[in-house]
Amino acid sequence: MTTIQVSRPREPGTRGQWWRFAVLLLITLVVLVPVLATLLLAIRPSATSTSTSALTLENFRYIFGNTDIMLWLGNSLGVTLATVLVSVIVAAPAGYVLSRGRGKAVSGFSLLLFVIQSLPVITAIIPLFVLFARLGLADNLIGLVIVYVGSTLSVATWMMAAYFDSIPHALEEAAWVDGCSVFGSFTRIVLRNSLPGILSTAIFAFLLAWNDYLVALVFLRSSTIFTLPIGLQTFFQQNATDWGSVMAVSVVIMLPPAIIFAVLNKYFSVGGIGGSLAGR
Amino acid sequence: MILLVAPAIILVVLINAYPLVVAASQSIHNGTLIVTGDFVGLSNYVDVVTSPRFWSAARFTLVFTVVGVFGSWLVGMGLALLLRTRIPGRGLFKILLMLPWVVPIVVSSTAWNWLVGTPDSPLPALAANLGFGEVHFLADPTLAAITVCVFKVWVSFPFMMLMTSAALAAVDTGVYEAAGIDGAGRWQQFVHITLPLISRSTYISWILMTIFCVNDFPTIYLLTGGGPVDATSSLVVLAYRSVFQDLLTGPGVAIAFLMTLVLVIVSTTLYRQIKKVDIA
Repeated sequence: MTTIQVSRPREPGTRGQWWRFAVLLLITLVVLVPVLATLLLAIRPSATSTSTSALTLENFRYIFGNTDIMLWLGNSLGVTLATVLVSVIVAAPAGYVLSRGRGKAVSGFSLLLFVIQSLPVITAIIPLFVLFARLGLADNLIGLVIVYVGSTLSVATWMMAAYFDSIPHALEEAAWVDGCSVFGSFTRIVLRNSLPGILSTAIFAFLLAWNDYLVALVFLRSSTIFTLPIGLQTFFQQNATDWGSVMAVSVVIMLPPAIIFAVLNKYFSVGGIGGSLAGR
Repeated sequence: MILLVAPAIILVVLINAYPLVVAASQSIHNGTLIVTGDFVGLSNYVDVVTSPRFWSAARFTLVFTVVGVFGSWLVGMGLALLLRTRIPGRGLFKILLMLPWVVPIVVSSTAWNWLVGTPDSPLPALAANLGFGEVHFLADPTLAAITVCVFKVWVSFPFMMLMTSAALAAVDTGVYEAAGIDGAGRWQQFVHITLPLISRSTYISWILMTIFCVNDFPTIYLLTGGGPVDATSSLVVLAYRSVFQDLLTGPGVAIAFLMTLVLVIVSTTLYRQIKKVDIA
């Protein structure tokens, strides 16, 4: 990582640089204490362990061997991927209309979406729970996906629209002249050039569904259909929590978002992802 | 055009708009999750706004929001300014400092619980060793409120850091050169140049964070459950507890509905701001 720095005027010297590095390192270490504690406790032998080594994977062996974690992981993955797929498929065309459409109806729709995403989830959840209970969708993963799609839709549509705004109209107009339909130009020209926008939207939907606690808490009652966040809560006992297992499950929950962020952080959109992790 | 946007509209109406209508009806009946109950007019609203629980929850929501918004803004902006300078390993720091926001809330609240949850947890033990006596971070009403607010700042500062970084990146460094030549010090440059230049984005991030804090459920509920007693019950937590613990939909939905009215006003204001500059 050595690069030749061309020194510019008015830049503080290297000494100041290392001071700032020390300060930043200290802050980062303090900030990451909870995350580091999670990782460390997950790979340390638990209190009841017979293992003599300092680090071990036995907590992971235990949770995969003796708990329903595989089931919850499957539920979480299924629900999350379904949410991502449906959200993108529905939000992309709607975002296109928001981006290219003009007039009162379009701007009204845009405002409506914006207001909806700022409302407390709890307001919609209580009536939806009553409604879904009648339809047999309350204690049901499909019901969960429907609510997640509803929660992601407004922001996802906004995100797609913002991305389409950056794509010049000229290409589409040329296609229309050649007799291409609006739908045709949208799929063949606009979507093809929108992979970064689609990725941002997909990440947003992924995080919302993967991290959600409130909706799952209200909707899921049978332990066989728990998602990971609800499954994790079953580990907390009144007096003795097995922290080794709890932290191992925590690591399993934490890894997908962390990996996605590390690999795709340039697609993290400020507004969208902000909303995805807040207020649920 | 209309076909492209139809699926989104149908879903928004079904999952977002229709439940609001049902919620309105629930708030004027004295029902439970199972039965609709009798029509009681506005008496749920009257009961809510005359109950001390509601006002203590409103007060806590206000404290939680003010501390959450300005705490995370100060920390996030400080770090964004630090990360703007030349520092070894800057890219890695940027990723690491985003983690509190990327890690699912069920995981970070678990880690925080391990850190401060009981008198034998690491932080209380450290406090005892330093001569502070027994510190009950989550059992003492005042301390629990402070702990929840600090936790919220810890979760939210990366969002503010990202928002501020994005705004700072758009500032032309030439203005600093000019100010430096004119003899303006660092603090003066910050107050008179940087702050005004990023003020719009700052304002937007404040309103967004306000919406996030007011709507927040898991950050509070997972750390304290709204306790001890009601010390950390925000309006959303109170609404949840009324419906799912006291099993009365009327008062809970009435609280959620009052919040909804306030948030519609807040988000409409924000929408007008955002329409001038795109951040979504």
